Amino acid sequence: MRNAIDIDDLSFRHDAAAQPAIEQVSLGIAAGERVALLGPSGAGKTTLLTLLDGRLHGWRGRVSVLGHPQVPERAPALANRADTGFIFQEFALVERSTVMRNALNGRLGRMPAWRGLLGSAAKRDVDIATAALRDCGIAELVDRRVDSLSGGQRQRVAIARCLAQEPRLILADEPVSNLDPARAAEILGLLTTAAKARGATTMFSSHQPELARRFADRVIGMRNGRIVFDLPTGQLTDDATAALYGDADPAPGVRLKVVS
Amino acid sequence: MRRRDLGGFWAGALIAGVVLWSLVTADVELSRLISAGPRIADFLGRMFPPDPTVMEEIWKGSAETLRIATLGTVGAVILSIPLGLLATETMVSPAIHRPVRTFLAFVRAIPLILVAMLMVGAVGLGPLPGIIAVAFHATGMLAKFYAEAIEGVSRAPIAALESAGAGPLLRLRHAIWPQIAPVVARDTIFRFELNLRESLILGIVGAGGIGFYIQTYVRSFQYDKAASVTIAVIVMVIAIEAINVALRRRFS
Repeated sequence: MRNAIDIDDLSFRHDAAAQPAIEQVSLGIAAGERVALLGPSGAGKTTLLTLLDGRLHGWRGRVSVLGHPQVPERAPALANRADTGFIFQEFALVERSTVMRNALNGRLGRMPAWRGLLGSAAKRDVDIATAALRDCGIAELVDRRVDSLSGGQRQRVAIARCLAQEPRLILADEPVSNLDPARAAEILGLLTTAAKARGATTMFSSHQPELARRFADRVIGMRNGRIVFDLPTGQLTDDATAALYGDADPAPGVRLKVVS
Repeated sequence: MRRRDLGGFWAGALIAGVVLWSLVTADVELSRLISAGPRIADFLGRMFPPDPTVMEEIWKGSAETLRIATLGTVGAVILSIPLGLLATETMVSPAIHRPVRTFLAFVRAIPLILVAMLMVGAVGLGPLPGIIAVAFHATGMLAKFYAEAIEGVSRAPIAALESAGAGPLLRLRHAIWPQIAPVVARDTIFRFELNLRESLILGIVGAGGIGFYIQTYVRSFQYDKAASVTIAVIVMVIAIEAINVALRRRFS
């Protein structure tokens, strides 16, 4: 089976940054895998996920997502974008819209443009969005406006929007870092379960090795834009994570901010 | 003296110079103002009591002013939506938004009464030149407000919709519009209030509305009737402001 993601010798530097955000990364992720990205702040996790979502330009190397080679100069074709879902750390919801409207926003790439512009979703789209909201445990909130919800509820809406998109690949940028530990495990659990039930490949970044152990098949450690380790979850040792977050070998000129 | 103090000194000297120049060259005879005292009293006296027989003219004029302000605002909204979009830094390239912004600043710089006079010349007397003038003049401000509303939105939901495969129009409809709707409503109501106030005087240059009667009565020395119309204008302005304060509170 073809890989969901193929990366070969990828490097990227943000405008005016001294250090590259990603340096010589090569990686293959099989379809259906659940991968956790671990690493301290500034390791390049968000950059890598955003780049795979087609929202960064000017990188070097070869990147292929769901069989489509990416072009560094321009965004991927809209038609392909719906296949890749992204979950944002800060939710990125439309605050003044309802929960249902936000979930339906995930369907915009899947419905005819006129339906999207008129805001009249077909029954099928509503059914898919409703199922996604039910899977996230917030079916009863459909008519509430997002700005009236708690942080945990908002993250569930953001995940439901992503699931409503019916993506084959889910990229999640620290999806639970704004939540308390119990809620974080619960929500990451429902995300990975729902993704597996839909046969989607999942890649999530996190600061918490325990979450990676519980919810991923494979763990990739990143630091200073490079891959430090790439292991099946069973082989992830405490020493490896300690070295990842420790200050044993910081790159010259880089100050690491360790977030617990 | 330090440089900063010197700057203050020169600014003061410049202001004093302009004031003195105006006083000396304006040909103002203060003696005339004093001797005119009784005449002003007579003038005000002739305004009282206001003549209540002009109610019909007041209704007719007010209704026309309301129509001019309403249709002028509708025209301004129609013009401001595309121009506002084209004036946003975040949506359009500098090659487009810079000239559009300059054009809007130019439009704002032309006083309404001047546009109305030109329009009366172009299309003739009546409410039509008033409507066109209001629409044109208000667009300069409204398009700028709309552009600022669009620039103030949170970018994250736009990126999220782009990531979900939504094109630019769909992003505008579902990520930007819900965020700007209350601001656009508030700005439009505010501009409507200004349009109504400013169009009260359009009749003076023949561009329709209640101002026509003020001008007619003053020119024909019927000050009691002019007083009635003036009172009607004051009542309208206060009423508009009260309604708008209440409306705007709903959209905050």
